[in-house]
Amino acid sequence: MKRQRIHLAVIACALCALPPRSVVGQEAQPPVAQTERTDAEKEGKEEGRAEAQKQDGAGRVRDDWGFRWEDHPTFRFGPGTRLDLRLRLQGDLRGSEASIVEDGEGASIDVARRRIGIDGEILNIFDYQVESELGDEDDPWRDVYVNYKQFKFAELQAGKFKVPFSLDENTSATNLDFVYRSRIGALLAPGRDRGVMAHGRLLDRGILRYELGWFAEDGSNGRSKSTDRVHGESTWAGRALVQPFRSTKSPLSDLAVGLAFTRSDLPAGVTGIRGRTDFDAAFWRPTPFVNGTRRRFGFEGRWRPGPFSVKSEYIRLQDERLGQGVDDSNLAPFVASGWYVSGTWAVTGEQKAEGLDSPRRPLFQGGFGAVELAVRVERIRFGSVSGDPLASDSPRADVILGNAERAWTFGVNWYVNRWIKIQTNLVRNAIQFPEQGPLPSQPVYWSRLIRFQFSM
Amino acid sequence: MTRRLIDRLRLLGAAIAAVIVVAAAGPATAQSTDDLDAFFDPNTIQELRLTVNTRDVRSLRENFEQDTYYTADLQWRNIRVRNAGIRSRGSASRNPTKLGLRVDFDRYVGGQKFLGLKSFVLKNLWQDGSMMHERVAMAFFARMGQPSSRESFCRLYINNEFQGLYLIVESVDNDYLTRTLGENDGYLYSYQFQGPFYGEYLGEDLEPYKSRFQPQSHEREADVKLYAPIHDFWREVNEPDDAVWRERVEQYVDLQQFMTQAALEGFLAENDGLLGGNGMNNFFLYRLAGTNRHRFLPWDKDASFLVIDYSIFQWSDANVLFRRAFAYPDLREWYFQALEAAAKSAAEDNWLLNEVTRVAELVSAVVEEDTKKPFSTEAFYESVEYMKEFAQLRTKLVLQQIEEWRRSRR
Repeated sequence: MKRQRIHLAVIACALCALPPRSVVGQEAQPPVAQTERTDAEKEGKEEGRAEAQKQDGAGRVRDDWGFRWEDHPTFRFGPGTRLDLRLRLQGDLRGSEASIVEDGEGASIDVARRRIGIDGEILNIFDYQVESELGDEDDPWRDVYVNYKQFKFAELQAGKFKVPFSLDENTSATNLDFVYRSRIGALLAPGRDRGVMAHGRLLDRGILRYELGWFAEDGSNGRSKSTDRVHGESTWAGRALVQPFRSTKSPLSDLAVGLAFTRSDLPAGVTGIRGRTDFDAAFWRPTPFVNGTRRRFGFEGRWRPGPFSVKSEYIRLQDERLGQGVDDSNLAPFVASGWYVSGTWAVTGEQKAEGLDSPRRPLFQGGFGAVELAVRVERIRFGSVSGDPLASDSPRADVILGNAERAWTFGVNWYVNRWIKIQTNLVRNAIQFPEQGPLPSQPVYWSRLIRFQFSM
Repeated sequence: MTRRLIDRLRLLGAAIAAVIVVAAAGPATAQSTDDLDAFFDPNTIQELRLTVNTRDVRSLRENFEQDTYYTADLQWRNIRVRNAGIRSRGSASRNPTKLGLRVDFDRYVGGQKFLGLKSFVLKNLWQDGSMMHERVAMAFFARMGQPSSRESFCRLYINNEFQGLYLIVESVDNDYLTRTLGENDGYLYSYQFQGPFYGEYLGEDLEPYKSRFQPQSHEREADVKLYAPIHDFWREVNEPDDAVWRERVEQYVDLQQFMTQAALEGFLAENDGLLGGNGMNNFFLYRLAGTNRHRFLPWDKDASFLVIDYSIFQWSDANVLFRRAFAYPDLREWYFQALEAAAKSAAEDNWLLNEVTRVAELVSAVVEEDTKKPFSTEAFYESVEYMKEFAQLRTKLVLQQIEEWRRSRR
């Protein structure tokens, strides 16, 4: 523990002491994409990058060959072909009135992510990405895919990547407004899996964005090491996002709403969907036997006018329970659902839609960086929480005894410079039936988090 | 006109109220004390139906050696209890053909009870050719004023398939304690057979006691609170100083009660109880509320009625607690008097013989139907004849043994 604390302190000091960008780079440049942005963000940044490749600030054509260090090391192999080296480090300081699973104490340090990877493009026709989590022996590979992008209306991606479902889950951990994802994003959305996906933009100026794919399984979020827990197998997933005012210059141009679904074959067994707090403590332990089909439905909305943003999502997951009754009859499906609404305000005036990871006035470059306030309210529910007297935690109960969590998260995000971000969160958790949760005697408890992040 | 309308409305209201009262009263009367008495009626063979998912039945049979719980609905008469938990149970009697089962009503639904019972055991009567050792022995304990589980026979069906003759046995739990001892705030332990244990001291470490004495109440309390008194109990039993032995041991155990239970088991020729051939077995230990004093409670009397001339001193020397208590004249006399009382009570009005005959007549038709029992129907009738012989001769043989012992000491 002490050694980790020292490592984090050294990393933090080293990161703050990094020379300002003008020393290692050349002229001021538009923001550069980082790994795993939201789709919309990624697209915008890609366009920016393409422009940057063609010309510098003075309009001169730049060199397409050789090694460059802009925000990160880049090798260029001619027009439209490059290889970027990526690194992301995250460390968390955590404290809570409830237990934290790793050590059972009320406070801990966690090295959340140590990711390295490469990404880039080939001849402006293919994108690729290979990313690995250091120290994760069970599942070291994150995104490993190739994307054929010659036609914007129909791109084709294959490999391992996030199943197209949930705005929050498909936002890179680097770009989250809060230290941890929403509960529905982390627990009910599928996560990554191996598959192929067609995606693109349709209609006038691409106001409709779609993703439709097939995956070998239904993602890592619902998977368990326990062999009697089951998760979705062959999975179809689709997501459609509409930006009706995309072609206008009105404040509504960024407004996007979308729908998403997944459908998976589900073998017989105990569902792998679990109710866990943001610190991984169980508040609903899965017992119901399921069998048949797993379906997810999601609705999402996002609007980022100026320095503000509002996001919201609703997800409903439903597992069939065919033949699971004591008399082999079909039971009512297991349902987990939830929602969140979040908002942010960049008090230093940056435009949220353009990203805050490149503050207008970074620290040591005449400014303080970018500062953002954030708040999120969310609720997630598993099974029945209505107090139905028939509710039971029997694996074969028709009415599943459930639990629910409601959380308020208050955050301050400090984007020190383009590489460093520090987030602080204060979370108020409320567990409906606390006896199933990490603090049986206390339905409401507080947690606090500080995340140090370096990414390039 | 208006008055007539009001009268009709009043009539309608009264009718609705009556319906509500009847409906509300329905479940309450359905699970009343009368129903519980009917459930344990010694003169009736109940019919119990379990509904279990076919996958679970298969798993239950395949994994009968494990204590894994499965969900079941239980039906008795017109009462159906949903989402009960059932699991395989027993030691040598566990088998996949005729499952020994424990039924827990509050396993999956907090506070759920059936006729006021949180659980009961469905004994498969696997090791006893007469299928009545347990029933007759427990009835005898009750007759002698000792705590004992209520029991009744049943025809068990799983998914409408007849499983054979079973014995419903009331669990030893808080309700049992309240009924038999008038309190339940103390500490209740189920003895788990881990190998021969004759009451010897198992050392300072609490672990050997923890593995043998499984708490049935206060489960979440610290080990030292749960097991230190048990450790101290057996340590004092094994202390060498005879001058203070009794005074110190009686702080931890009711010696007269222990001698009484040993005497009743001895009369019944029980080879797997407090003075078992393979060490102590088949008992619950209860530490009375607010004290360090324990008492024993009988459990599982399948191994009774072993042989008619079973010695009343069988294995008694091996058990440290019995051997040292027996050295005290008053406790020795207490033991003999308990044996004499048992012998006389069994013979009084031919109670034991009549009980064996009555139970045999009650169950014989179902035994004949029971194709899952591990022995033949002829073997059952032979066992019944042996039981009758035991009932007729045991009293005389026990009294003779007592008399011979007394004569030898004069």
